Amino acid sequence: MLSQRARFWLAVSVMVSLLAFSLACKKKAVEDDEVAEDQPAATPYKSKGDEGTITGKVSLNGAAPAPKPIDMSQDGACVQMNANPHSDEVAVKDGKLGYVFVYIKDGQVTGGKKVKDYSFDMPSQPAVLDQRGCRYEPHVLGVVAKQTINVTNSDPTTHNVNVQAKSNEKWNQSQTQGAPPIVKTFARAETLIPIKCNQHPWMKAYVNVLSHPFFFVTKEDGTFTITGVPPGTYTLVAWHEKFGEKTAQVKVDAKGTVTSDFTFDGGATAAIEDSSLKLMPAIEFPMLGHH
Amino acid sequence: MNRGLHRFTVFVTCATLFLIVAGALVTSHDAGLAAPDWPLSYGQVFPKMVGNLFWEHGHRMIATAVGLLTIILNVWLWRREPRAWVRRLGLFALLMVIAQGLLGGLTVRLLLPLWVSSAHACLAQLFFCTLVSLSVFTAPGWQQQRETIEEAGSLSVRYLAVAAFALTFVQLALGATLRHSATWDQYLPTNLLLAHITGAVLVLLVLGYTVLTTLRLYGDRAYLARPAKLAGAILGVQLVLGVLTFLARNASPEDPQPLNPMISLTVAHVACGALVLAMTVVLALRAFRLLRSSQTATAQYQMNAARS
Repeated sequence: MLSQRARFWLAVSVMVSLLAFSLACKKKAVEDDEVAEDQPAATPYKSKGDEGTITGKVSLNGAAPAPKPIDMSQDGACVQMNANPHSDEVAVKDGKLGYVFVYIKDGQVTGGKKVKDYSFDMPSQPAVLDQRGCRYEPHVLGVVAKQTINVTNSDPTTHNVNVQAKSNEKWNQSQTQGAPPIVKTFARAETLIPIKCNQHPWMKAYVNVLSHPFFFVTKEDGTFTITGVPPGTYTLVAWHEKFGEKTAQVKVDAKGTVTSDFTFDGGATAAIEDSSLKLMPAIEFPMLGHH
Repeated sequence: MNRGLHRFTVFVTCATLFLIVAGALVTSHDAGLAAPDWPLSYGQVFPKMVGNLFWEHGHRMIATAVGLLTIILNVWLWRREPRAWVRRLGLFALLMVIAQGLLGGLTVRLLLPLWVSSAHACLAQLFFCTLVSLSVFTAPGWQQQRETIEEAGSLSVRYLAVAAFALTFVQLALGATLRHSATWDQYLPTNLLLAHITGAVLVLLVLGYTVLTTLRLYGDRAYLARPAKLAGAILGVQLVLGVLTFLARNASPEDPQPLNPMISLTVAHVACGALVLAMTVVLALRAFRLLRSSQTATAQYQMNAARS
């Protein structure tokens, strides 16, 4: 039916396509291996027993955006576990803001190096990210680089865990009901790694990987306490998914406690800062500015 | 002439448009990675279609069906189509759909890198255009004897239609890259958005001029006037859809999940874009079938005069 030449080119095309496909997949695996190996060796931090504490509260100024309804009707299991599902990334109670990731971004240890140049004791327990009620619990998570993280599925449905890292390995893995935990580590420091379930697109969490353990995710009362901080001067950052980032300079004295409060403005969202509307005054549509 | 073959080709072409719509629904629902494995979904041929897996696995099933239809079309062409170049075009379409399937697999295995996702979207349009061409070539209207007409006007409608096709394709490629640069919960990148808007203006100018010129010069020839009118009408709808899609898409990052009208408007915009491209293909092919350049006409006249 096909001429000899046509058969030849057909075979060549199929072989080249398959080769390109397999090479592309192999290349990804190689890149993933490379991620873990290029970190400079850090000096182990030796405690002098004079570490201090950073504490504070995160507040929201103005009205919080109203929670938006979520349509879970595509998965009956999710519907059964959520009578009236709404977005919950803005957790506010009495003007105090939850789900804020507060961490030391940079700074100098008194009489020593930069905080990033030290290695600290790894937390003894693995971090846990659970899929419960077709939500991620917790919504914001902090871990130390190379700390084990267990991703569990407590739901009677299947999820996929899509980790959209930039500096670390990206991965996407499904997890059925009752499946064992997915055990992973993040090789290097990287903040704001989105984790998504593409099965249920309202499910989103953020993992923040740091080279040190000086971080805290605020609860609904907005408080945070970071203990065991070596004396020094640091840049403290508070980040919220909707309201963006605030920074403060703090000086931790030996065995001292320093307080640093943050206040976010409820009227401004982080996302609009990068919006194409904002950057395109010529075709600006103010009614869609979400103010 | 085989009417059955033509009807089947048109059917496969329509199935491909449906596949493009299904693919657009996957992107708009952010379902592309709902099944981390490929070609199976969760290791199964028929997994439980819950959540966004409905869109992703549904797209894979429709794609498989279109692949099978393209194989059947090729068998039919090689058995019944006397023109070797049409048979070869059918084979080219088959190679395209195989490559498209592999690209689809790459999007999943490589976690949606921009260049693979955009290439997948662009190849989909080229595959659709190839089937549109096959539909034109197998049509009775193409195969019946026609007297060619000398091109009138300073600009050739044939080459205007080719330019409109090329420009529309570039515009679709820009749109695909723009679309795959950001998921529903992110704002679209401004540089690509501006490029896409500029492309829309250029397509409006070039395709609009092509349509008007065709209607002005050959308005009495339904073979050319019909696709020209359709191209103009669909282009108008597409521009309106473009503005509405932009507005809906810009509001989307504030939503807790992909929602209508963003989904339906974006998918309609993608499908309508494919139809605009298809109409430029039909117009260009028919223009080359019906029209000849004035130089060709002069040469033919001289040849006939010399013979007589």
